[in-house]
Amino acid sequence: MLLSRFFYVLLALVVGALLFTLEMAQSMYNRAGERARGEGLSSDSQVVSWYLKDDARTRSSQLIKFALDGDIARNLQKASASESVLDEKLRDPVTAALKKVHQEMPPDEAFDAVFAVDQHGRVVGQVGYPQANGMSDFELGGYPVVADALHGFIRDDTLVWGRIYRVVGRPVEVEAGQLPAGAVIGARVLDDQFARELSERTGAAVAFYVNGSRTAAGAPEGFQTSSLDQIVSDLGALRGDADYQDKGRSSVRELGEGLSVQYTRLPGEAYELGAGFAVARQFQKLPSPQAFYNRADDKDKAAAHPIILLAVVVGLLAIGLGMTYLEHTRPLRIFHQEVARLAGGQSDQMHPSKFAGAFRKLAAEVNEGIDKVAAATGGRSRRATNLEDVLGELPAQPMMAAFAVPDVTAGIPAASAPLAASPLPSPVIGQRPVAPGRNLPKPPGQAAVSAPDPEAEWRVIYSQFVATKQQCGEVIEGFTYEKFRTTLVKNRDAIVARHGVTQVKFSVYVKDGKAAVKASPGRA
Amino acid sequence: MAQTRRLGRLQPAHLLALLSLVILPPTAAWADKVWGSVSGFEHLENPVWKEAKDPKNKGYSFREMVPTVPAKYRKLYPHIPRELCLVALSTQDQPAQPATLIRVGGGRTTPVTIVVTPGTKLVFQNTDPFKHRLYIKGDSNFQPNDTDRGGKREWSATKPGVYEVRDELAPSLRMWIIAEPKVAAISYPSMKGDFNLSVAQPGDYQIQAYFAGQRVGEAVPVKLDRGDVRLPAPIVVGKPDQGADKGGK
Repeated sequence: MLLSRFFYVLLALVVGALLFTLEMAQSMYNRAGERARGEGLSSDSQVVSWYLKDDARTRSSQLIKFALDGDIARNLQKASASESVLDEKLRDPVTAALKKVHQEMPPDEAFDAVFAVDQHGRVVGQVGYPQANGMSDFELGGYPVVADALHGFIRDDTLVWGRIYRVVGRPVEVEAGQLPAGAVIGARVLDDQFARELSERTGAAVAFYVNGSRTAAGAPEGFQTSSLDQIVSDLGALRGDADYQDKGRSSVRELGEGLSVQYTRLPGEAYELGAGFAVARQFQKLPSPQAFYNRADDKDKAAAHPIILLAVVVGLLAIGLGMTYLEHTRPLRIFHQEVARLAGGQSDQMHPSKFAGAFRKLAAEVNEGIDKVAAATGGRSRRATNLEDVLGELPAQPMMAAFAVPDVTAGIPAASAPLAASPLPSPVIGQRPVAPGRNLPKPPGQAAVSAPDPEAEWRVIYSQFVATKQQCGEVIEGFTYEKFRTTLVKNRDAIVARHGVTQVKFSVYVKDGKAAVKASPGRA
Repeated sequence: MAQTRRLGRLQPAHLLALLSLVILPPTAAWADKVWGSVSGFEHLENPVWKEAKDPKNKGYSFREMVPTVPAKYRKLYPHIPRELCLVALSTQDQPAQPATLIRVGGGRTTPVTIVVTPGTKLVFQNTDPFKHRLYIKGDSNFQPNDTDRGGKREWSATKPGVYEVRDELAPSLRMWIIAEPKVAAISYPSMKGDFNLSVAQPGDYQIQAYFAGQRVGEAVPVKLDRGDVRLPAPIVVGKPDQGADKGGK
């Protein structure tokens, strides 16, 4: 299960890293969004300012058509000649000329109102300003933009006549080198239509305001224009905005619900009246990494390389499933098969060598359990025979008799002691146990342990051991000579290695009511 | 108030013509006239327009001169029929004058500068199609208050001094009222600078020009003794000290 555990740890680390990355991405997204929003608002504000300036310049150039009209120029000259009273006869021709020229102008460069003003500032004729109809003393001469036009300048201004007007003026000359006969003044109302046109051309969401109220608004598609009404509640706070007061442009202000605005004061007389425009952008912060999934559109999802992601998912899935198969399903199945074999009697024990890890231990424990149950019920233990259980106590040192007297009789006393202590019933009752190697032919010279053939002797020992077990009431079923011999070989080899002897002799005796085999090391 | 109602019934076209009659003191058949002229007014500069042309005041996004207009005209000299007030100052305090109509419209008042004796009632009438909100800086008797189209407000100076009228809804609108106890007569010049003052009582007078709330030019003494007087020389109200305005931005 090591691989699986390693995989789980790795998977946990990867998931943690991904969550950490998502958290960072959320923070980066929000910060980048806020920065982009601020930059976007500044850009929008600049663009709108440029648009207003360019629009004023474009419209002022349209005033040339009025200034070059002979009827307008001549009648303005006549009007200027009279200081006290304006000749009413001059109004109609001037108004007619204004209308004629105005109708020929391109619609997107036309004015909402045009005024022809004489040198005294009196409005001789006008179109598009019905509020002044019937006002014979209506004049404009006090406004700086009109005064500038009457003194030879072209300029723009922003006036508040109840509504916000972008105004441009230029002089009207009859003869070059003379005092201008008057001036023509064009005015464009900053209404919703103007704001919409501005928004379409600049892409900015814009609202105009004056005297603490929004007067016009326009926004691109997808931006709710009504949300710009929120600026009304924020206009009062602009008094405390140093940038707005000093530089005419506020810092980025958040109005809630992701709406941010930047205010810019309009140039002209309206500057002092607090008139201006606000550009707005909406930016919703990600409240949590999960919000990525809600915000993502089809383009975002397409950019996520779904094939690669699918391959990674499938790959990780395969690795995980493979590891669990290798480390769980497969060994469990094998274990199950072995258990089934054991249960079916096809095997008398589990084979731990077939397993690994926990299953090997389980197999060993199953064997252990079976042995203990068998032992408790008087059955034959199938586990590996304990050396001491099989051979009895091993001498800590080689028995002197075995070494000193190679003759088998010399070893009898030592070997017979246990039997004497626990005399066996027939057929050996009353007899001394026969030394295992006594009847065996002696090995030639210094032959190794294996030199003399122990088979005959071991068969004798086996016979004695079986007989003794029967006498002790032990089960001998399944106890074959081959198993007995294997045990003897193992023990003999262990004793040889332990004591450096060349010969080991076995003898049968009874220990604790059970048959046992005792080994006696010796020299050939 | 009766005078105010009477003014209210006047047609706007006649207001300016009647202005000079109203603001002048009652004249007897023997009123003397002081004929004269002013010069150098083209060197004066309307303070409102001067401030407006300063780029620092953000009064425009572009301002360019028209080269075909001679440089001498490209200066923001005042419209003297409204802005330059000629005053005959007596050696003695004069009584309050009759109610005087001040037209408010077109981005300014008419007249822009006026010199009156304290206690003279001034009637401000809105001649614009939109409202104004006039006030006098530092005067609790003339706080910002809306005046709708055709509406009027009244005010009188209680003591000598210079009062500046402003409009919260039209920053370029500024008017100067000089309350001077010795005002015997006032007049406004023509575009060419010619003027005449009708003085009711004979005596010694000083002819003084006022512009934008300040005296301009030297006072010219005249002695009236039941006969018109023509000033021997124009009153110089301004000196050339500036070049032509080239615009900017």
